[in-house]
Amino acid sequence: MFAYIMEVYRTNVCICYIAQMQTLVFEVYKMNMRIQESMSMYEKLNILTDAAKYDVACTSSGTARKGDGTGMGNCERSGICHSFSADGRCISLLKILFTNECIYDCKYCINRRSNDVVRTSFTPDEVCALTMEFYRRNYIEGLFLSSGILKSPDYTMELIYAALYKLRTECSFQGYIHVKAIPGANQELVRKTGFLADRMSVNLELPTAEGLKLLAPNKTRKNILTPMRLVQNRMAENKQELALYRNAPRFVPAGQSTQMIIGATPETDYQIIQVAESLYQKFELKRVFYSAFVHVNEDKALPARTDEGPPLLREHRLYQADWLLRYYHFQASELLSEENPNFNVVFDPKCNWALKNLGQFPVEINRADYKMLLRVPGLGYKSAVRIVKARRLGVLDFPDLKKMGVVLKRAMYFITCSGKMLYPTRLEEDYITRNLLDAGERLPEELRNMGYRQLSLFDDVRFTEDGLSWKARAGGAV
Amino acid sequence: MKKIYLCSDTITGLFSAIYDAWETGRREEECGISFRESMEQELFCEYYETQETEKKARAVESMIKRHLGRRVYWDIYHAALSGDRRKGDAILGTMLAARQIPDSTRIMEHLSHPQVERVFELSRNVGGEAHSYKGFLRFKELENGVLYSEITPKNQVLTCLAPHFADRLPLENWMIYDKTHRMFVVHEAGKKWVLIWDEGIDRSFASRESEQELLYARLWKSFCRTIAIESRTNPKCQLSHLPLRYRGDMLEHM
Repeated sequence: MFAYIMEVYRTNVCICYIAQMQTLVFEVYKMNMRIQESMSMYEKLNILTDAAKYDVACTSSGTARKGDGTGMGNCERSGICHSFSADGRCISLLKILFTNECIYDCKYCINRRSNDVVRTSFTPDEVCALTMEFYRRNYIEGLFLSSGILKSPDYTMELIYAALYKLRTECSFQGYIHVKAIPGANQELVRKTGFLADRMSVNLELPTAEGLKLLAPNKTRKNILTPMRLVQNRMAENKQELALYRNAPRFVPAGQSTQMIIGATPETDYQIIQVAESLYQKFELKRVFYSAFVHVNEDKALPARTDEGPPLLREHRLYQADWLLRYYHFQASELLSEENPNFNVVFDPKCNWALKNLGQFPVEINRADYKMLLRVPGLGYKSAVRIVKARRLGVLDFPDLKKMGVVLKRAMYFITCSGKMLYPTRLEEDYITRNLLDAGERLPEELRNMGYRQLSLFDDVRFTEDGLSWKARAGGAV
Repeated sequence: MKKIYLCSDTITGLFSAIYDAWETGRREEECGISFRESMEQELFCEYYETQETEKKARAVESMIKRHLGRRVYWDIYHAALSGDRRKGDAILGTMLAARQIPDSTRIMEHLSHPQVERVFELSRNVGGEAHSYKGFLRFKELENGVLYSEITPKNQVLTCLAPHFADRLPLENWMIYDKTHRMFVVHEAGKKWVLIWDEGIDRSFASRESEQELLYARLWKSFCRTIAIESRTNPKCQLSHLPLRYRGDMLEHM
């Protein structure tokens, strides 16, 4: 902004020939004031949306609530997507920062205090007006309010609380609200805010405490975990209250989530899913979101900038593994290990696990228990449930499986129906790997566009060599 | 000879035809249903005009609810809203098939029956489109403060959308116009919604927007543009989630 003011000022100089320093300072001051005052809603929204776009994820699921007829809004359990942006991500909530005036200096963040970006803040009234007007035009499903740290964590949390309070009471807004708990803020404030929101999240920022120390010097692991624990405990208490009084106010009914940045620090996939697993177990989080690191700042502590763009495939594999942890009864230690700490580039984590554990296959569809069915590549939890139900009525064969939505192309190497496989196949890792690849296993974009290279007879097609592991691909990260 | 009942493409029409057909036949080969608008005459059939009455439709509705259960009615109702030409036969076939099995309420589990499978697919298709429109529909504020929206769905989803928006915006005057089927759903603040067939209603009022409308439309468009992360641009992914046919009525894609 300063550059802009100087630009304007220089033109002024040319025209008016003002030379005295005092006038200059005064002029700049005046100009500055004018710009600050005249920043319209349009500009503010642009700045604070742009600053919020790296936050994941814009989900509106987890609460079902009918409108009570006196205000505006309701919630659907499944969530509703209202649009999709050019990057293919869903737009469900009005995702904005309350302010980008931040006192912290996190190296990966566009709003770090040492960055020269235009700063602005909403007022609680503006947030309410935007949310209500967007909501009644059916643009959005609710509000996702995050914020930079203005003055202090307490001050910021108070502003957020004020905005939500106004929205819920004065505007009678009954739609979805996702709000960030600010680490280091007063516990009572966090608690009070939780009663107004549907989902609360505290950003873990980086998977490990060392990473945090390196890239976010103003934040500590302890400060982040404290509000997370608070929300967890309060939710457990709230469950008791609701059991006793059905109409007791609800505390964070859609659960708690968190997010971490992937690829800014040198953690392995194994470390990351271990962190996620312990968050699910110890903090009872609803979701952990992973956000591929996007280069917005230049800093020597950040990985070198490459042409590859954000590590999207890695993010994808982590989400796949995350699903395995939450819905498929997998343990992090089964998917990866110290010796083999990164996900396979070519195969998804489940397929990779199956190839490494061929001793447990083939699985007999008509007899295997539900948990084992879940572990078969090509079988999702829906088809597993259908199989368990359908086999009570009769013996299942391969055509029946196909009707139930099983991906036989993938599953056929791992299952038998009444003791027979679909085709005569060998239970060998190399054989199955080769066949899966031949069968047109859809390779990830990154691999398809890898270009040409000479193949040697002894190449390992699964690319598990160090040559292609994540760490090396990150380009000398830190 | 097979008897085919002709009706209009509405719930009342379709259910009235089912009422008539129900009395003639016990098997699929004996009776069928066709729509006047999209009829293709077949050989060796007798065609009958259906007298469409509210009473017949209600009788069929309560019969389905009583004998097949509310969940099956939900599926049949949604299938009946579909834009598919042969939905009448599918629904009639399903109801006839339900007669044959011991527990009629479990008819929707018999997916191996071709007509039941069709009803299942149609119902899923209509439900899916209705869910999409719950998100993709855009209201604009008119001069008089009424919220107005136009959509072009393949199926008659208005009756699925109306309860959702009535619950969501109970204190607003709003209306949605279905351009494909030329129908309105109108909701007056604090009252129940009503369905209106468009018989030459002058829609020029729709172009008189309120002063605020332009401001918020501009804010929303710029929000949608800004929220995308440039280095993650992925039009294919966007296209798979938001097919082009929805975009014509969406403010941010106009």
